[in-house]
Amino acid sequence: MTANNDSNDLEALFDSIAADFVPEKPVAPVKTPVAAAPATDDNDDLQALFDSVAAEAEVATANASATSSVVDETAENWSNQEAVFNRIGHMARALHDTLGQLGYDKLLEKTVSALPDAKDRLAYVANLTEQAACRVLNATDIASPLVDDMENGARALGERWNKVFANQLSTPDFKLLAVDTRAFLNEQLPQKTKATHAQLTEIMMAQDFQDLTGQVIKKIVGLAQELETGLMTVLLEIVPEAKRTVEVTSLMNGPVVNAEGRTDVVVNQGQVDDLLDSLGF
Amino acid sequence: MAADPKMKFLVVDDFSTMRRIVRNLLKELGFTNVDEAEDGAIALQKLQGGGFEFVVTDWNMPNMDGLTLLQTIRATPSLKHLPVLMITAEAKKENIIAAAQAGASGYIVKPFTAGTLSEKLNKIFEKIGLA
Repeated sequence: MTANNDSNDLEALFDSIAADFVPEKPVAPVKTPVAAAPATDDNDDLQALFDSVAAEAEVATANASATSSVVDETAENWSNQEAVFNRIGHMARALHDTLGQLGYDKLLEKTVSALPDAKDRLAYVANLTEQAACRVLNATDIASPLVDDMENGARALGERWNKVFANQLSTPDFKLLAVDTRAFLNEQLPQKTKATHAQLTEIMMAQDFQDLTGQVIKKIVGLAQELETGLMTVLLEIVPEAKRTVEVTSLMNGPVVNAEGRTDVVVNQGQVDDLLDSLGF
Repeated sequence: MAADPKMKFLVVDDFSTMRRIVRNLLKELGFTNVDEAEDGAIALQKLQGGGFEFVVTDWNMPNMDGLTLLQTIRATPSLKHLPVLMITAEAKKENIIAAAQAGASGYIVKPFTAGTLSEKLNKIFEKIGLA
């Protein structure tokens, strides 16, 4: 059996109706649709349904015009409304089919669910990078005085040793210098380098956001590309040609993320300086 | 550096990280008298309180942006002499030209280095006769 289920149902319905009206010859009308069934598709069914509805409406109007004016009016309103409903039904169907064929239904569905997610992800990135920046700045705040201490301590001892070599230091002072130097090398220096090293590790560990934000950003870039492709197609169909070349001329654009092929932006400080020089500033 | 190490700076940026970085760089250059403002409007209030000798400002900020701040400073008789150095991510040529025309003393594009900041500061000090 090659006919689809839909056709079978319709045939069964047709059979039952036909049986009511033509009890003497139930076989003849049935045979023809069955023979045509393999070629039947959805559109044919819809067309048949539409025809039958339209025919009913015509009959109703014809019947109504033959009766009293009150009935006539009601019937006419009803048939008008029905025509509107029919029309809207056809439009909705056409829109649904078009979106489906273009793949926009999937896109819209995905967009609705993906956008709030992307917002959360970006907030997460902002959060992690801010935390990392704070950790690094805190670490340098701790490490800087330690390095300064080591530098100052070494310089002070060095100057005293210079005096030894210039024969300007007395024996007791020399003994004191030896004790101070020993303490510096054995205690102060290792303690401070260790503390500095801990801060260097802290700075290194603060970069762990890169892995997490990298993954999140990749996902958002993918989403943005899909959205852009879809929206661009829609926009190109809708926006009049004359409007397409209008550029946004704002002075607050943030960082230039891709300067390739652009002549309206500078890419380094040297170009800033050259531009200002050329203008006489 | 020949400029007075007690010179009072105002660092204006809406991101605390950038304010901290600029403050640290200024400290390394010997300037420890630094105050911060998170947008142009707050900066203007602080400047009108007096005592500041140098302004380092971002461009893109809420409430009042850096260019408006610069224009307001140049239009205010008590403030118009202040050196204003812009440190911003805005890298369009028209931005740089607009800043120069509004009277910016210098323009640094982010990301920048400690060397660039030092060089631009010295250039401004030279211009105003401090170096």
